[in-house]
Amino acid sequence: MHDEAVVAASEHDLVMLARGLIEGHATEVVAILCRTRALPPAISTTCAELMRETLAHVWPALWRRGGPAGTQPGSRIWERYPPVGLTFSAATLQLLRWLVATPLAVSRPIPPPLAAAPLTIGDQVMVYFALEAAAGTSAQAAIAAQPLVRAAPLAWLGFAELFGDSRAPELGSLCHGAGAIVVESLTGELARHWRAVELTKRAIVDPNALIALGAAQDAALGGFLAACDHHRRRDLAAFVIDAAAPLLQRGIAPMPARLDPTAVLASRGAARVAAGALLRGVMTWAGWDQAHRGVRFIDDDYAVAQRLLARFEAIRATGAARAAAWLADLAALVPTTVLPSAATVVPP
Amino acid sequence: MSRAIQVRVSESIVRTIHVEDGVASPLEMLPILPPARMAELLARELEALGFVRDGSTCKRIEPDGIEVTVDLEAATVAVKLGAGARIAESIEQTVQVGIESKDHVEASLRGRMVRDLESRVADQTADLRRAVTAQLEAKLADLKIELDAAIGRATVGALTEKASQLGQIESTHEDEAGNVTIRVRL
Repeated sequence: MHDEAVVAASEHDLVMLARGLIEGHATEVVAILCRTRALPPAISTTCAELMRETLAHVWPALWRRGGPAGTQPGSRIWERYPPVGLTFSAATLQLLRWLVATPLAVSRPIPPPLAAAPLTIGDQVMVYFALEAAAGTSAQAAIAAQPLVRAAPLAWLGFAELFGDSRAPELGSLCHGAGAIVVESLTGELARHWRAVELTKRAIVDPNALIALGAAQDAALGGFLAACDHHRRRDLAAFVIDAAAPLLQRGIAPMPARLDPTAVLASRGAARVAAGALLRGVMTWAGWDQAHRGVRFIDDDYAVAQRLLARFEAIRATGAARAAAWLADLAALVPTTVLPSAATVVPP
Repeated sequence: MSRAIQVRVSESIVRTIHVEDGVASPLEMLPILPPARMAELLARELEALGFVRDGSTCKRIEPDGIEVTVDLEAATVAVKLGAGARIAESIEQTVQVGIESKDHVEASLRGRMVRDLESRVADQTADLRRAVTAQLEAKLADLKIELDAAIGRATVGALTEKASQLGQIESTHEDEAGNVTIRVRL
């Protein structure tokens, strides 16, 4: 029926943008971001209905991105959780309207800011999708600079490197209810992204850029790990293990090898320390691992502790020891880690 | 037809600049004895290296001005170097202008000269800062070796003390590689 629905051209862009974001069609999304359209102050009821139908596909889209899956019955994320609790507020429409109306392909004129607003988990997922679709374009930084985007905990967890030294929001909403299911669905993506960012640290030249990156990662990861601990959902932080394990196994330290040699020593030292944000996350996991080993068979948390012990097997004590050694080396007066050329590093 | 006149403008600047660079790092101390006792043992080794103890810190100022401060409680070392200089620069320029634009040209010229002088001061400050950083950086490797050796000796002292708490030390042997064997009768 809606194939024949008639909407204004600007509304067509709005719906196509939402569909592109949800389905992960980055090319179509970027095409819409590059042009600009004037939008009327309100959308038609037909457009609202189409938008509602489009947003109903967010859960399946998240499931397709894959949480941890196995062959056992009930091991797939859609078998473990019912598709409930993912609500959207006016902020989603506000975000989509801003993306359609703003010419993000050019840096001038500076776009009007997208004001911060209370965000539901659904809104946060749309913000996450927008940042992801704009990856590799100048639009991504413009989107990340918006107050509404900077207030999204999921955006911080997925793209901390875009937020510099600004203040991270409270990340507790991602550790229960729909937020936890969303994070679990994105575990694989989060791990891949954090690992990719880790590899870029080796080629960063400007110490201040690395300090800002490390501060944002520390804020996001520190806040999220503390929230996971508080809500007894340490399993949600498993992406830290998946991100770091291949790097630890292959001996790829986040040692910045190309810091500007003319920069002040204090900045270079602070930059090296900042580079260890993910390793500090690994050390938190190592501390948890020790606690899990102390959980006895008769304790209530035994089954959970065993699952988490199995999860940390990818790193184990040897990986944790290597992470601790790298952190010590990053903080040393004179780093000693022998580095291969940054250009030769292939993502594992 | 306007009369041409010669405008001569001179500007000078005198600045005293101070630049500083430094780096701090944690010390790798094994927790063999309680932290206060480990700090005492390290302080003793540092004093033997010329550090002066003041409460919970040990400080040494090198002949080249580099200041090394070890915080015994926090187990950190901070190394810094500062340098100062007095910069005196002046510029004088002469231009031929029509008398009617004298004031405008003089103001414009003076503004340009002030900017030029500020730029020279900034360049010299940056040069001095780079020299300080290079001097400090050249010192760090030797300092790290010296501190690692002091920490090693403090660790051996702590192990010996711990061993004496366990029983009677019969012999202590240190090989060329620095490995220490303490034989204890329990």
